[in-house]
Amino acid sequence: MNVTPYRIILCDGTACINSGARALATALREQLERHGLTEQVTIGLSGCLGMCDKGPILVVNPGYTIYGRVTEKDIPEIVQEHLVKGQPIARLAIQEDHLYNRFFRVFGDAKFFGKQMRITLRNCGIIDPENIDDYLSLRGYEALAKAVGEMTPEQVVAEVEKSGLRGRGGAGFPTGRKWKLTAAEKATPKYVICNADEGDPGAFMDRSAIEGDPHTVVEGMAIGAYAIGASQGFIYIRAEYPLAIRRIRRAIDDARAHGLLGQNILGSNFSFDIEIRLGAGAFVCGEETALIHSVEGARGMPRPRPPYPAVAGLYGQPTVINNVETWANIPVIILDGANWFRTVGTETSKGTKVFALAGKVVNTGLIEVPMGTTLREIIYDVGGGIPSGKCFKSVQTGGPSGGCLPEQYLDTPIDYESLVKAGSIMGSGGMIVIDEDSCMVDVARFFLEFTQDESCGKCTPCREGTKRMLEILTRITDGKGQPGDIEKLERLGGMIRKSSLCGLGQSAPNPVLSTIKNFRPEYEEHIHEKKCRAKVCKSLLHYEIIEKCVGCGACRRVCPVGAITGAAKSRHTIDQDKCVRCGLCFNTCKFEAIAKA
Amino acid sequence: MDTKKITITINDKQYKVDAGQTIMQAADTCGYRIPRLCYHPKLSVEGACRVCIVQVEGMKSFVASCCYPVADGMKIYTNTKEIRQARRDIVELLVDNHPEDCHTCERDGNCELQRLVYSMGIRHRHFTGARKHYEKDLSGASVIRDPDKCILCGRCVRMCSEIQGVHCLGQAYRGFNTVVMPAYNMPFAESVCSCCGQCINVCPTAAFVEKNHTQELFEKLNDRSVVKVAQFAPSVRAAIGEAFGLPVGRNMEGQLVAALRRLGFDYVFDTQFSADLTIMEEGSELLERLQSGGPLPLITSCSSAWMKYMEQFYPEFIENISTCKSPMSMASALFKTYWAEKMKLDPKKLLSVAVMCCTAKKYEAARPELEVQGLRATDIVVTTREAAWMIKSAGIDFVNIRPEKFDTPLGLSSGAGTIFGVTGGVMEAAIRTAYELYTGETLIDIEVNDIRGLKGVKEGRVVMDGQELRVAVAHGLGNAHQLMEMVRADRNRFQFIEIMGCPGGCIGGGGQPYATANSIPLDEECLKCRAQALYDLDRSKTIRRSHDNPDVQRLYREFLGRPLSEKSHELLHTHYHAKTPRGIVSPNLKVV
Amino acid sequence: MPTPLELIRKKRAEAVGRIIGKGYLSTKRVYVGMATCEIAAGSKDVMDVFQKAVSRGLTDVYLSQKGCAGRCNLEPTVEVIEAGKSPVKYGRVDRERAQQIIDRHLKNGEIIQEWVID
Repeated sequence: MNVTPYRIILCDGTACINSGARALATALREQLERHGLTEQVTIGLSGCLGMCDKGPILVVNPGYTIYGRVTEKDIPEIVQEHLVKGQPIARLAIQEDHLYNRFFRVFGDAKFFGKQMRITLRNCGIIDPENIDDYLSLRGYEALAKAVGEMTPEQVVAEVEKSGLRGRGGAGFPTGRKWKLTAAEKATPKYVICNADEGDPGAFMDRSAIEGDPHTVVEGMAIGAYAIGASQGFIYIRAEYPLAIRRIRRAIDDARAHGLLGQNILGSNFSFDIEIRLGAGAFVCGEETALIHSVEGARGMPRPRPPYPAVAGLYGQPTVINNVETWANIPVIILDGANWFRTVGTETSKGTKVFALAGKVVNTGLIEVPMGTTLREIIYDVGGGIPSGKCFKSVQTGGPSGGCLPEQYLDTPIDYESLVKAGSIMGSGGMIVIDEDSCMVDVARFFLEFTQDESCGKCTPCREGTKRMLEILTRITDGKGQPGDIEKLERLGGMIRKSSLCGLGQSAPNPVLSTIKNFRPEYEEHIHEKKCRAKVCKSLLHYEIIEKCVGCGACRRVCPVGAITGAAKSRHTIDQDKCVRCGLCFNTCKFEAIAKA
Repeated sequence: MDTKKITITINDKQYKVDAGQTIMQAADTCGYRIPRLCYHPKLSVEGACRVCIVQVEGMKSFVASCCYPVADGMKIYTNTKEIRQARRDIVELLVDNHPEDCHTCERDGNCELQRLVYSMGIRHRHFTGARKHYEKDLSGASVIRDPDKCILCGRCVRMCSEIQGVHCLGQAYRGFNTVVMPAYNMPFAESVCSCCGQCINVCPTAAFVEKNHTQELFEKLNDRSVVKVAQFAPSVRAAIGEAFGLPVGRNMEGQLVAALRRLGFDYVFDTQFSADLTIMEEGSELLERLQSGGPLPLITSCSSAWMKYMEQFYPEFIENISTCKSPMSMASALFKTYWAEKMKLDPKKLLSVAVMCCTAKKYEAARPELEVQGLRATDIVVTTREAAWMIKSAGIDFVNIRPEKFDTPLGLSSGAGTIFGVTGGVMEAAIRTAYELYTGETLIDIEVNDIRGLKGVKEGRVVMDGQELRVAVAHGLGNAHQLMEMVRADRNRFQFIEIMGCPGGCIGGGGQPYATANSIPLDEECLKCRAQALYDLDRSKTIRRSHDNPDVQRLYREFLGRPLSEKSHELLHTHYHAKTPRGIVSPNLKVV
Repeated sequence: MPTPLELIRKKRAEAVGRIIGKGYLSTKRVYVGMATCEIAAGSKDVMDVFQKAVSRGLTDVYLSQKGCAGRCNLEPTVEVIEAGKSPVKYGRVDRERAQQIIDRHLKNGEIIQEWVID
């Protein structure tokens, strides 16, 4: 029998499970066996597909046929008619014209994409980002047309407010409320700003989003501007992102040429345009007031709030600042509706979140999952687990402002409140998986080194305090830690967290405080036993030559300081006083005769 | 301002306060003085030092009281164990990155950081570590910058840009390495710094100090082979008492004359005499320009900081600037000519020293165009602060000393010369004389209230013989900038303009005594008291118009001839030149 | 006067027309990942191989670029979409693999399983 190698996707979201999706899987397998199709047809599970009201959902690819309200009784028919005969069943097929989740239409890669749900990244990796036709053909700018043509600004604000969308930059302020506050301000002109000053080490969500689908951001901003009464927008993007800059610039030019930016957009009374501002890469410029200063041409330093930018932002005027991911959600909310958007996610956190998954995980990458997905699902299902058979140790979310969570928090669902409760933050989307080979004190030191270096220098706690914390951490990892150092870190960290001027300082101690909370024994070992269990801290480890040594002399020849001695064909020894712990001998030895201790 | 009353609770006690204020302002009215550092009422709120943090019930972070507004029912705690420790630690962090050289520091005993450390009760240091280090900038003629002592409160930066409009200072680099410096890390000498010294006034530590000339002066005072002549500016007498713990606004003229003699000066003259002389010259210049049609407006040139600022930012108005030298430079020119001749002294063997409320006068004194017969006219300028220190250092009992009189003939002055030290004073003095020169009649109501007071830009009108003279006054370079923009927009709006570089005029000069423990730098009440001391002195005099000063009249008779004579021009007038330090776009630059 | 929605629908129809005009309905569509990360991993070389093949007469292929699909550790990625068949995505493509994808998959319909991201 010549059967198309179909791939079937079963929605494994909560709603579909409740309406019997898992029983479908069993029935499906039985039927495939009966028809001898187990080789040709594969079954994949997906996270919530966002069609909960029509579940359980079963998708047949190629062809992207979506079957809704499928029961066990329907399975034999689907297999017989569709899979065997190639005749899709019209009775069961549903037409869903959502903007999201185009991935199943074009991708096979269901293991990786299975638990994902793509709302903001819906076009990334699908369309040619430099061709506005690609975007237009996928209902691009239709949300803008709907907003300016069929909705009042108040209705747009209300829709966004109803959607439950919260700022994706990290703090999670309700976007609709921010817009409402700004819309209520009398002063004109008003501004909208897109914060594309992505600065977390290892994070690339914004860059990828803009590079993959720049028009979504443009469209989102135009809708926001219409909603609050702005006619000028700015995209603040770091100069280190030349390709993203080129593509967003091209997108703005193309949109302008199509009458989607500029005067009287789509024949309406609404006029709006966007300018690009390049940031020089200071981390603090991601903080909204610092970003505003930078756009104004001043030194990028935060200022105290209130007044908030909604009241007095760019040039002292009412301003809405949202980050790339937040803006990218807007067209979907307008077109698919707040009611649909609210079905995705958890009670307090609606929609999806993009993460840059990195570190000791098999599938590093850019992912987007519904809120409420657990850390375990992200790391093991999407990420494919820890490579090389190593043990999971910790996951770091929120970048340098976040915290390190140990294994007992793996079932924490991704939402703003749960992550804070667990001792970390959502942040803008950095997620770094750490395995047993990492030293948590060293990890904390790494992040603090970053924030210490990126502190703008304005407020005392952040400028001076992070420096002192870093000095203490450095001496701990250097094996010079003193009793009381942990308490000093906690005292300084607590003060900095509560006293700093802006979010950078307030969150700078988080990596340290969370590792002390969750991995205190590691700190204590460093200080009291001068021991680094992960064997990362150079000063705390030494190399020894064990009995496996055959006396080949390779280590002796490679040692830069002449610390290794020994006669040919007899076991060598390392002079610990001379050894500088460079690790060259360890890497050179072919007989695993050199051990870290 | 919203004057609705609301109820707040501070440390469990209820208070009714005005709505619309910050927590700090409200607490100030309730008898709390929350510790503070970067806050200054005249400057924008920085919220940087975090010393003024308080706890507000329901908020998870501490709140900087300088910038957070009060709300009805707000519960505020200023002294809990937690907040006291956090505040203490913040101040310790400042000290940990500050040199430990209090004993040898110029601000020892008058340092806000020192006072804070004391009141926080920091008896041990927990967090000592590395300290930042940058070289001192010794290049400036007036102001020395020592970044090691800077605690980055940012008051100087805000003063320099917001009040003075110079924008010379800014923060550079990041984090722990942050440092306040002129653009491109230029030395002061090559920067747009106007030398006004207001950064010194607002600096809590010794990160900014004046270029110190006290050692050099002590040395010269011991040189028996020269004749030592001193002059001091009007505002010095109104403020120097503060440096000795006396109440603000006490006139110490006689005591200062006596003290300077005890320091070793042979003659002590009054800059107010040459202020009168300035009025004669400048008043005549005004009349001449009014009659010949320009160039108008005529703009005063007494303030050295304003002159440098003008040369840099408003060179197109150089023709409008009065050619008169400042009173200090006029006096010094006369010391080395008229008076030296009279006393049969070799001007090369004459040391001319000026005690000034001003740091920019150090810069002015070094201007080559002010040389007289190849000699520097003013050899040394010391500020009020430096003079006070010298008097203390020399063991002179300034507070109890018996007042003495100035030497003659360059020591007698009218009340008009006295009020030079206050914003509007030069204008008022000029009107007193110009009116009479123009109309031939004596002005009866000589106190011109329109142009008194601390409003930034003041406008006034004087009717002389049916002719209206439109005048304007600005003090502080930021206000000067505003006024000059008005002039740029309408050149005919004013005919005569007085500009003083410092807030309040010379009484708020960059060389005046530091604020004491319980006051703030450039406190408005303090400025008003100093001004009042000068106005009182004016009223106490029988001669209140410059042209009535008999010694000025004699000077013209014996030496100068008449105002604007050739001799006057040679000795009392000068010219200014456009300056374009780096960072200033030359007006000739074409933007492509 | 058409409404904004009518206008945008017209624009969409025009856009679809233009895309089809460029050969979108060709039997095979090839997308090369061209985000910064992909370019850093070498996708410009890959694109170059495909472009040269098209210019040398490879027909029935619609070649386009796309943004990041999130598969960082497998970049550069190349995706081949054929009507009626499941899409095939190749990972860690270099010049050599690109040439083989052209020769074996695009010309001969062979899916090179060992490079497929599954």
